[in-house]
Amino acid sequence: MRRVPDFDELVGDSLPPDERERLQRMHDLLVLTGPPPQLSPRTEAGPTLLMRLGRSRRQLRRGAALLAAAVATLLLAFLGGFIAGHRGGNERAVGQLIRLAGTREAPTALAALWIAPSGSAGNWPMQLFERGLPQLPQGGLYEVYLVRKGRLYASCGSFLVTSRARAVSVSLNAPYRPRRGDTWVVTREHAQRDGHDASTIVLHPTT
Amino acid sequence: MAVALDTWSGWRALSRRDERPLPPDATDGELLVRVGQRDCEAFELLYHRYVRPVLGLALRRLRDRQRAEDAAQETFAAVWRSAANYRPERGPAAPWLYAVARNAMIDRLRARAETPSDAPDLASTEPSPADHADPSFVAWRVHRALEELPDREREVIELAYWGELSQREVAEQLHLPLSTVKTRTRTALAQLAAIMDGELA
Repeated sequence: MRRVPDFDELVGDSLPPDERERLQRMHDLLVLTGPPPQLSPRTEAGPTLLMRLGRSRRQLRRGAALLAAAVATLLLAFLGGFIAGHRGGNERAVGQLIRLAGTREAPTALAALWIAPSGSAGNWPMQLFERGLPQLPQGGLYEVYLVRKGRLYASCGSFLVTSRARAVSVSLNAPYRPRRGDTWVVTREHAQRDGHDASTIVLHPTT
Repeated sequence: MAVALDTWSGWRALSRRDERPLPPDATDGELLVRVGQRDCEAFELLYHRYVRPVLGLALRRLRDRQRAEDAAQETFAAVWRSAANYRPERGPAAPWLYAVARNAMIDRLRARAETPSDAPDLASTEPSPADHADPSFVAWRVHRALEELPDREREVIELAYWGELSQREVAEQLHLPLSTVKTRTRTALAQLAAIMDGELA
């Protein structure tokens, strides 16, 4: 049985009656409620990026299922368009599919990046489908970069991975005009000891 | 064109609407208003003030550690989504946050019963009179008040009430004179009572 602390031992007998009564009420509440829970390291660490996106993990799973369905539809549409485009000799009009493979940092990861045809406003929508990247520690995220002249040129968006075994599908956009030789990579963004973020390439084009 | 690799801090900078620095003694209500303006720093502070009360409530309601942790995560995601709906003139933040947490637990319980769980996150953000008498709400307030105590005072309370140590044993444990332990304990109880009386505006 739990030992209840002796109120008289805690506060002594020198308090005015009204103050003593007030502290006795507080004492009774502490005895009644018990200790606050211990936090797991995950909870102790602080709010996650997912919370700041206003999403719970359950909602994310539901969203991922919807996204997967959307991607399947997109890929079917792409396939149809690709065939039609080849027949008509107009490849640029139906977009481009880039296959990405894991670097030494994530050797088992694979991804497909579908680049939609550029809109009239210059936006370049794209859809990334990835599987095999590991979940990152809190605060870490993956980023899709446009690579121009061999250098990370501009971010096209970022995403999180909740499990290596769970495929991720995300919509991205690059508001840049495509140029010959442009390509894309996926990087892992992580904080360094000096507080700055560093980028490590985890997926790169296979061709 | 330079590439901004400092993605997270860039996002933080973009997300901040109110550029005034957060006062260290900002009330929960002030923090909640800032969270409604997408202030990450305020969210972090609010999280650390409330994570124990939220998790404690979840454990009492769900009786399962993993589910409780998930429910706590969902609670804070709901707080982030809904903070802009908080109106300080309608009452203090603690009961509003309690209502958000309670609704997240209800949602979890519904999910366990395998019934559709698409109920709105905030069925009601006004605690009823019954809520105020609810032992869970009392525990919520006590655990929240404990977060306000300075470490050295919280320490003596924890050791005395839940460490099951006598005052003399607390003194030995902390290498402090017995009189200091007694003073700290009395001060801590008085502070907790004051915080509870003030209802955590």
